[in-house]
Amino acid sequence: MARYTLLEALRTRFPIMVLVAVALLLLISFFVEALAVTESARFQASVYAAGMRLAGVFIAALYVLVSIARELNDKGFDIVLALDLPRAHYVLGKLLGFLALAAVVAVVAGLPLLFLAPWEAVLQWVASLTLELAIVVALALFCMLTFSQLVPAASFVAAFYLLARSITSIRLMGAYPLAGAESLSHQVMSTLVEALALVTPAFDQWTETAWLVNQPAAWPALLAIGWQSVIYVLLLAAAAMFDLYRKNF
Amino acid sequence: MSTKPLTARLNQRRERPVATVPRTVLVMLAAALVAQIALKILQPAPSARAEALSRPPTADTLRALSFGEPIALGALLTLQLQAYDNQPGISIPFAQLDYGRVIAWLESILGLDPLSQYPLFMAAQLYGQVPDPAKQREMCSFVHREFERDPNRRWRWLAHCAIMAKHRLHDMPLALAYADAIARRATQAPNWARQMRIFVLEDMGEIEAAKVLLGGLLASGEITDPREVQFLMERLKGLQGAENSSSPSRK
Repeated sequence: MARYTLLEALRTRFPIMVLVAVALLLLISFFVEALAVTESARFQASVYAAGMRLAGVFIAALYVLVSIARELNDKGFDIVLALDLPRAHYVLGKLLGFLALAAVVAVVAGLPLLFLAPWEAVLQWVASLTLELAIVVALALFCMLTFSQLVPAASFVAAFYLLARSITSIRLMGAYPLAGAESLSHQVMSTLVEALALVTPAFDQWTETAWLVNQPAAWPALLAIGWQSVIYVLLLAAAAMFDLYRKNF
Repeated sequence: MSTKPLTARLNQRRERPVATVPRTVLVMLAAALVAQIALKILQPAPSARAEALSRPPTADTLRALSFGEPIALGALLTLQLQAYDNQPGISIPFAQLDYGRVIAWLESILGLDPLSQYPLFMAAQLYGQVPDPAKQREMCSFVHREFERDPNRRWRWLAHCAIMAKHRLHDMPLALAYADAIARRATQAPNWARQMRIFVLEDMGEIEAAKVLLGGLLASGEITDPREVQFLMERLKGLQGAENSSSPSRK
């Protein structure tokens, strides 16, 4: 299942999409580099890295959503159900294929950075982007299997990603308001935000451009990101399996 | 034809009972959820550092970046700026912040949303409260500059600075200059504010003066935001408490 998922991606226009995104962002970064009077390499690396991170997330998430939607609509999934294949294996197979795809996207995105930043920092950036994309593709798989429709699933993935990128800021802003800290509404909101933070990865600490242009990240920090990713991907995979087992087709 | 209600039939079609989910999947789901929550609980709470405050882009740049929503961007930036000093445990005193940068941020936010009172409120009531006369003057100077651009909307923050100049900075000419500016330029300000220069010239204690200013503001009904009213009420109560505890008993 994982192999076929990977093959499907390679035989569609997915690789071209990734390469076009890389080329386009490289062009933009060269344009920025030409405009900068000083620190031109720093400008170029930061523009490319920040843009490629977003583009990678967008392409990977959309690909997973559309791929599963096509299987559901073309009744390809019905054929899979008719086979002697547990539903969990279907989810795990698909997930493994998408995770491999996430790694490919991250590596391709990171290759141009080898000319713009130290190799150690690039390695960390690529590793972190792989983990970030792993969560995003697992989330997209879960959403598509749960909602069965493209628009709600894509909206949920986009909203979740925005929340994950800003959850730390939201916590900081809501932690100690200037007034009304004792009010019930604030207490409820504050509790809600903290509860949300418990089940949301803080993506603002991942795949930082600062690692490339300032100094590489501390390896223990990257290890923490790794653990968080493994747990979260497992959680999303289990949730996807749970929903799929409960579905009647 | 089935006699069951339509919703019951639909539910029956769409979802199978939880018992159909293999135990391994349920255990994996529960274990991953517990691990995720445990990991998050073990992580330290986020905290911002004073030195992390960078210089802001100009208001024009921010306006271009706001995609046609300068007021919303201004509100977000205000809350972001507020988060730099309003830390868990209030461990970062305002005095540690680079006031030049704070003022630059406040100016940029006002540039995005000139009708917002929030940046001036922060300047007068928060950043202006540090026990550092130079920084108090810096904030008052900023408030005065912004007051000159729109006196009828921004007079109350300059009124606060006038009181501060008199009682904190002990700079009577400065206090009088601010009170005069309100009387001359803020033609739509209420009488009590425009007559404040009289108070400035009187020899009043700081608590008394602050009570007049805050009480006047609250009584005028100009402040409609309940959170701001609550904030000012709390300050007024605090001032009254301080006055009662410092005055000798009359029994």
